[in-house]
Amino acid sequence: METGDSAAWFLQPAVTARRCSWTLLALLVAALIGLVLCLQYGTEYISLPELARILMNSGVATDSVSGISPAIIVWEVRLPRLLLAALVGASLAVVGVALQALLRNPLADPYILGISSGAALGAALALQFGVAWEIGGLSAVQVAAFGFASLTILAVHRIAVADGRIPVQTLLLAGVIINAILSALILFLTSLSDSTSAFRLFFWLMGSVATIGYAGLGALAVTVVIGVGALCAQGRNLNLLSLGEDPAQGLGLDVERIKRVIFVVTALLTGVAVAVSGLIGFVGMIVPHAVRMVLGPDHRLLLPASALVGGLFLAVADTVARTLLAPMELPVGVMTALCGGPFFIYLLVSHRKEAIG
Amino acid sequence: MKTFTDDVGRRVSLAKPARRVVSLAPSATEILFAVGLGTEVVGVTTLCDYPSAAKAKPKIGSAIPNLEAIIGLKPDLVLAVKSEIIRPDILAKLSQLNIPLFILAAKTVEEILGHIGTVGSLVGREREARSVAWTLAERVNVIRRRMASIKPVRVFYVINTDPLISIGSGSFIHQMLELAGGENIVGRTAIPYPKVSLEEVLRRDPEVLLFPVGTSEGIPEHEQQRWRRWTTLSAVAQNRLRQVKAELVNRPGPRVVDGIEAIAHAIH
Repeated sequence: METGDSAAWFLQPAVTARRCSWTLLALLVAALIGLVLCLQYGTEYISLPELARILMNSGVATDSVSGISPAIIVWEVRLPRLLLAALVGASLAVVGVALQALLRNPLADPYILGISSGAALGAALALQFGVAWEIGGLSAVQVAAFGFASLTILAVHRIAVADGRIPVQTLLLAGVIINAILSALILFLTSLSDSTSAFRLFFWLMGSVATIGYAGLGALAVTVVIGVGALCAQGRNLNLLSLGEDPAQGLGLDVERIKRVIFVVTALLTGVAVAVSGLIGFVGMIVPHAVRMVLGPDHRLLLPASALVGGLFLAVADTVARTLLAPMELPVGVMTALCGGPFFIYLLVSHRKEAIG
Repeated sequence: MKTFTDDVGRRVSLAKPARRVVSLAPSATEILFAVGLGTEVVGVTTLCDYPSAAKAKPKIGSAIPNLEAIIGLKPDLVLAVKSEIIRPDILAKLSQLNIPLFILAAKTVEEILGHIGTVGSLVGREREARSVAWTLAERVNVIRRRMASIKPVRVFYVINTDPLISIGSGSFIHQMLELAGGENIVGRTAIPYPKVSLEEVLRRDPEVLLFPVGTSEGIPEHEQQRWRRWTTLSAVAQNRLRQVKAELVNRPGPRVVDGIEAIAHAIH
């Protein structure tokens, strides 16, 4: 964050614990309402009373006209999707906030450090070799993607670290280069593969939240909650860090340790998110900015708020993607950009005056 | 000099019937051999495996053709199919070198049979082409008559499981399903190969799940079996997970009629 922003920060009403709690509560309620609405829409609209009935009895309810119970659709298709969207959206948004603070770069997003390309390479290899087994509810492609993402984290760290310190510039450059190399490898692999593998990789890259069942969701939820929680706990530290590394060090922050923690947690969360849902763009870069514009740059509020907004946003985007042209499904990444883009422009324009003044 | 118009509106002129033909797609290769060409086929792709004589022909690449290989064979006609990826730079280069390129794009079975006649005209084998097309059309009529009295079976054709891709009415495979007495449950979308929602499949409750198998485009056995978890589907309850040879269904060539018969056999 540039000094201009930190000056504005002091001029904002103080983020008291009370204001923070009410804001987060309001967002949580909005998220739950949003979740319910998302469950109602899809190839067929399920009314609220019927939805309530379905959610109350977790068993298969009586058959509707079509012969297939909407309960199956809600429990087996929509709910896992929405939960995955919420978890991935929350992860990407929080990672975006943390990286924008860590790298002091407003254009940072979860994919900037190359972890996503590592995951994509893992997925590409798994798709190419048609690996098919499943472990703990996760497919081979997802496991391979996470495995390669982890290797990438190690590689980026190795390149960037110098004397136990991680200079932010070097980290950024290391990420950019790794991104470029891995992307080239993926293209190379694609050019050699047959059309089916290339086709599947293309769709994988576009991102999808339809990819996991309850078994995998359990493991994912635990990981995301821990990761997002760990980042939210760094709110005060990120506030200090955004003043600049030397000022923060002067104010008593162990800058290198915090940078390490942020790097590791964001990298792992990104790796997990991309491994299960592919490359869903826009959420990680724009949700942080949108939330920051409305709620201010204090990370103690910004981090958890972004998690809630990010999760809701991706769930809504996915619902629109699968309802707009039903039975056809649009890629969710297309929807995040098309839904979020214009809204963000509106925010930008309406807050422009405040930013200058 | 005869001028033809291909399926994407390009005008193609041939001074005389083509004698050295390069094919950029397996379906085009099959049509060429079906109208009686043999030595005149000078280049095919690595994916062209039918008839077996095609396998011995010089190769010009696979899905993406090699421009130099094509030019090296000095063709007087290049046949391409729109569903394959046709790179614009190859298109431009071929037209620059005045090598006639004819692009086939069939949306219906009638159009595929029509292509046999078109290719026949391009290579001076009108009579053979007409006779082949007529025989095939008759076989289609026989199937159509037989299916007229049978209630259509709800079918879901799985092109890919993850992501879930099936057939829309914009693809000739949709019509093949209908001719074979099937009702394509996602037929209401016009897009040829749409990514569809699993919800739609569950709602429409297909009586048969049809999987293409064989070659690299087929659906592996374990993926087919994974569909069994949706026990509410009629197809799963009645154990009607059927297979059909991919190459008979995916290629808009003379064997589509074999494909229609295979589908009919599988779903009824």
